Amino acid sequence: MNDALEFFIDPSRCIGCQACVQACGECDTHRGTAMIHLDYVHRPTGVQTTPVVCMHCEDPTCAKVCPADAIKQDEQGVVLSAAKPRCVACSNCVLACPFGVPKMQTSFDLMMKCDMCYDRTSIGRKPMCATVCPSGALFYGPRDYVEKFRREQPVNEFQFGAQTVRTKVNMMTAPGVKALPFDVADFLPFEALDEDPLALARAGAPDVADAAVWHELHDPKAELELICE
Amino acid sequence: MPWMVAVGAACVVCAAVIAGSRGLKHFDAALLYYAIGSVLAAAAVAYRFTVWAQRPPSRMYFKRGLELLLRRGTGRLPAVALATADKIVAQNFIRRRSVYRWVMHLCLSGGCTLAFAITFPLVFGWVHFAPLTGDAETYRVMVLGFGVDSFHVAGVKAFVMFNLLNLSALIVLVGLIMAAVRRFTDAGERATQKFWEDILPLLLIFAVTATGLMLTVSYKFLGGRGHSLIAVVHLVSVLALLFYIPFGKLFHMFQRTCSLCVSLYKKAGARGPRAHCMCCGEDFASRMHVDDLKTVPD
Amino acid sequence: MATLTQSDSCYTEQFGPTLSFAPAGGWGSRQPDKLVKTHCCFCGVQCGIQLKVSDNKVVGFEPWEEFPVNQGKLCPKGVKRYLQNDHPDRLLTPLVRTDSGFRAATWDEALSKTVAAIKSIQGKFGKDAFAFLGGASMTNEKAYLNGKFARLALQTANIDYNGRLCMVSAGAANRMAFGVDRAANPWSDIPLAKALLITGANIAECFPILTDHVWRARDHGAKIIVIDPRITPIARTADLFLPVRPGRDSALANGILHVMIERGWIDEAFIAAHTHDFDKVRALVAKYTPALTERITGVPAASIVKAAEIWGPAETSMLLHARGIEHHTKGVENVLTYINLVLATGRIGKPGCGYGTITGQGNGQGGREHGQRCNQLPGGRDINKPEHREFIAKFWGVPEPELPKQGLTACEIMDAIERGEIKGLLSISFNPLVSIPDASRTRAALEKLEFLGCIDFFLSETARHADVVLAGSLQEEDEGTVTTGEGRCVRLRNSVSPPGDARVDWQIICDLAARLGNAAAFNYARPKEIFDELAAASKGGPIDYSGMSYERLEQNFGIFWPCPAPEHPGTPRLFEGGEFHHPDGRAKFHAFDYRPPAEDVDAQFPLFFTSGRVVSQYLSGTQTRRIGALVEQYPEPLCEMHPRLAAKLGVKDRDLVRVSTRRGEITVPAQVVTSIRPDTVFVPYHWPGRKSANLLTNRALDPISKIPEFKVCACKVEKVADAPAQPARQFPARSQRAASTR
Repeated sequence: MNDALEFFIDPSRCIGCQACVQACGECDTHRGTAMIHLDYVHRPTGVQTTPVVCMHCEDPTCAKVCPADAIKQDEQGVVLSAAKPRCVACSNCVLACPFGVPKMQTSFDLMMKCDMCYDRTSIGRKPMCATVCPSGALFYGPRDYVEKFRREQPVNEFQFGAQTVRTKVNMMTAPGVKALPFDVADFLPFEALDEDPLALARAGAPDVADAAVWHELHDPKAELELICE
Repeated sequence: MPWMVAVGAACVVCAAVIAGSRGLKHFDAALLYYAIGSVLAAAAVAYRFTVWAQRPPSRMYFKRGLELLLRRGTGRLPAVALATADKIVAQNFIRRRSVYRWVMHLCLSGGCTLAFAITFPLVFGWVHFAPLTGDAETYRVMVLGFGVDSFHVAGVKAFVMFNLLNLSALIVLVGLIMAAVRRFTDAGERATQKFWEDILPLLLIFAVTATGLMLTVSYKFLGGRGHSLIAVVHLVSVLALLFYIPFGKLFHMFQRTCSLCVSLYKKAGARGPRAHCMCCGEDFASRMHVDDLKTVPD
Repeated sequence: MATLTQSDSCYTEQFGPTLSFAPAGGWGSRQPDKLVKTHCCFCGVQCGIQLKVSDNKVVGFEPWEEFPVNQGKLCPKGVKRYLQNDHPDRLLTPLVRTDSGFRAATWDEALSKTVAAIKSIQGKFGKDAFAFLGGASMTNEKAYLNGKFARLALQTANIDYNGRLCMVSAGAANRMAFGVDRAANPWSDIPLAKALLITGANIAECFPILTDHVWRARDHGAKIIVIDPRITPIARTADLFLPVRPGRDSALANGILHVMIERGWIDEAFIAAHTHDFDKVRALVAKYTPALTERITGVPAASIVKAAEIWGPAETSMLLHARGIEHHTKGVENVLTYINLVLATGRIGKPGCGYGTITGQGNGQGGREHGQRCNQLPGGRDINKPEHREFIAKFWGVPEPELPKQGLTACEIMDAIERGEIKGLLSISFNPLVSIPDASRTRAALEKLEFLGCIDFFLSETARHADVVLAGSLQEEDEGTVTTGEGRCVRLRNSVSPPGDARVDWQIICDLAARLGNAAAFNYARPKEIFDELAAASKGGPIDYSGMSYERLEQNFGIFWPCPAPEHPGTPRLFEGGEFHHPDGRAKFHAFDYRPPAEDVDAQFPLFFTSGRVVSQYLSGTQTRRIGALVEQYPEPLCEMHPRLAAKLGVKDRDLVRVSTRRGEITVPAQVVTSIRPDTVFVPYHWPGRKSANLLTNRALDPISKIPEFKVCACKVEKVADAPAQPARQFPARSQRAASTR
């Protein structure tokens, strides 16, 4: 087993491309069903997306609420997907997981969730999602690398009301980064805050800069003719 | 508590054996070890089941399931029957996962069920065959000491009766071959399968099936050669299988009972008040489920 | 007459797009016979990937972590690319058009018909009346072969390719500024930069793998400036975001340079020693004060100053751009004004210092190097230069005067068809009906053709109009090389053979050439022979591959050109030591004043329209619209608009809106988001027919590169219908304005 490799999630790097979700289904044990999720936080007001893989809790709530002993944890702390013969499709785990990870496949009567690509990680390879992730938002590698090269800090302890959850998977946090606006209007010139979107659309004035710039210009077409490709 | 249930289960089986065989009159002493094994296995299963059913989430479903069943009395029975037919007999959820696995699982579960349905009554002395007085060629089928049927030893009925166990073995064998193919060729299964959980039960079932068939081969075609040795191996493999059931993958056959409770629970939840997402307003579960679940982890 | 002979739905029923969700043989057991190390077929990054092959079918993929560029990383297109193989829509035989659709034909019939049409049209109307259109998703071998086929077998001047819709503005600008057309740096320089200027490049969705390079630069302390009318996923966490008004890019670059000169953040010594014409630029940008630039570009003056403050004094820096500044009638000017920002700092030709256009198509770089352009001969040679013509004519063994002259570019070919000057067209891996602007005119032009032949693996929307369709090969069914956006020539390995009666593309071209009487010049046994020939043809040219061989490419994970000798290691970074490729070794500044786009907003069409890609689709969607998982990710085009504009138009999220321009209209659902300028709407372009964004776009061409103005035109938007009722999912009102950092 490869104890040195850990899983790190960094939503600040995520570009929402869904490569992780598409690749998840390609893992041999997952057979076309993606077991992780990637959603917009709130698309109307921004493009922030957040990948959700199983956090592999030290004391997994999903397993605690499973009536059928279907969710097992291995010696390395990987919380496996529901055992097919046991799962009774009750959805307890779906409702109880503090991270919203398990999903019920109603057509199969089976809960399927991220098992950290057990077939791969158990033989020292990387999980599918973290292998393909183009942005490094999902990263599987040594903690040393993350501490040395990443500006964000890994944390693996989370508070949900009275419940403290410690996880095998780390979440990267970016303490130094200020909150960013998600509205283009916040980046526009100040007076544009109340600007009419149709302000440029005056009859006979196709370009806002015309009057200011163009009266003093020579003919740009003449210049272009001088340049051969 | 689990110990008491285990002892109770053992006692119930013993009592059933004694009563069913009319005070051991029809008990076949040659099957004594099987009977003892069965009693012990029943105790083990009962112990394991009690431990499991007492865990908060399972207890919640069993409690709610019983409540729902009793609240409207027999009104729920059709729903339970339907769920049993769908989930336990037809196993449609496996078909939706994979037709191959469905056929495989029906062969294994159906064949084993048939085999147990034949052997347990024989072992417990509930059923035996008695030759008709004056007609050694005709046997009577005695169930719990009552004659229920008779057949001629050379007839078709006799052939079926004597070979039903072999037939069940053949069905199981088909399932075993399919399972073996899957375990050998499916990349995903190969990567994740565990000996104790996934391979051992198949080996045990295979050992029982193979030795069972070899007994038939031995007395039919080899003049009984090797019969006693094979019989011992068969006995050992059957006992191993029985003792494996509560402690491994095969225990799921008892845990499936919980899925019946879940069916009732979901039906009731769908009719009752619903829980909605605080952010987007989406209906995501029944109020009852959310409230019940809060009591489970603590 | 290349009109359709049955309804669209009939074509769709027979030839797709059908959605493929599962690999050949299902998910159950996918034990591959072999893993083939090759590259993804989508986009110019050309990620390494291993294809799982079982029974001559591609059944899956395995990341290829050893390949240094992507190290196993893939975008969703790369992950699902294998599903194009063993696809129900795959063309398995040549097709010949009938009174209703197509019928299967033998190769002999299909090839004879094609050659007869070529001979008849060229006999009646002259050689140039038959045009050839190639593609930039094909291998270098095929790009070379297409050019040779057009010049020697067809003897037409009119050969061009769909890269004309892609990165020719950058190519022309590179040659004008540096004397050579290639990204100046390998992508491994990106993480070494301390300042990144990303303009008109939606890296996250079009070249997702490069995101990691950008973030690694940020990890090392780089500041990132993103210039785009939309907050793209890269812009979301950028240090500075400049929401430029569409069509104003050159003004913004001039404005930034104005501040840099004013503050003294330019490298006078470098400018004096290695460049020409900076004085003209200095004189020009004097008037681009932050205030004026703000008025033109809609970017706050303070942000313009901030951009100069980040870029000007940076220790190392990289400029990255893509179609956003290139798809304009002043695409070349836009690129050159941004290149001015690089040259003025002297930060080029050093680790972490330089410049790169990110090519969009699979072989966007290699496809534009080996002579399938109307003005180019192999080795990046100029068809108008006598010494270049002489070299290639001799190489091909033909008299120089017989070599056709410069012909028309892709859009001009379509215009010439419209005017009736070009009567016949052979198109390979190109779907102009979806990808050329002003699609109604494209359709009318196709219908005027006397003969349309298409070589393709699926029946594209354009191929529906064809008289003959020749069943060609998918990328994994052939082998060869491609040159990635960083100038690295890499090896594509053969994974499977074409199914049914389909043939590899180069074989089809050679068969056609043979029937046109050129068998001797098109006699190849395998792609390697074509590669060796194109490498030899490039010897001594501006783009020199002559030191490359398949073995070397395989051993070295590809080689960067120029590679003029078998022992030459290749050239990952250009211009080291300030040596540029113009004859005098100096780079050239270009002073271009801002001018408005061909079509600007007015009272009738008051909004800017711009188009682009989504991450799950590739180009005209011929391949990706057939892959179920990708289609589900973004099923249909949406019209992005700002809530402020939406309020003005009375539009709510998912309402159906009609977007119309002077050329056409489409009706699509609205997506109301704050991530786009209020005066601009955006619709992605991957869809055909009534969902085609290119019904709206403007076929006005850049005078130099002849690229059409995809990225800006004037439109109006009206609400047509309410959003279809959806399950109760209402987002509560949220205040987002509080978080501003400004």
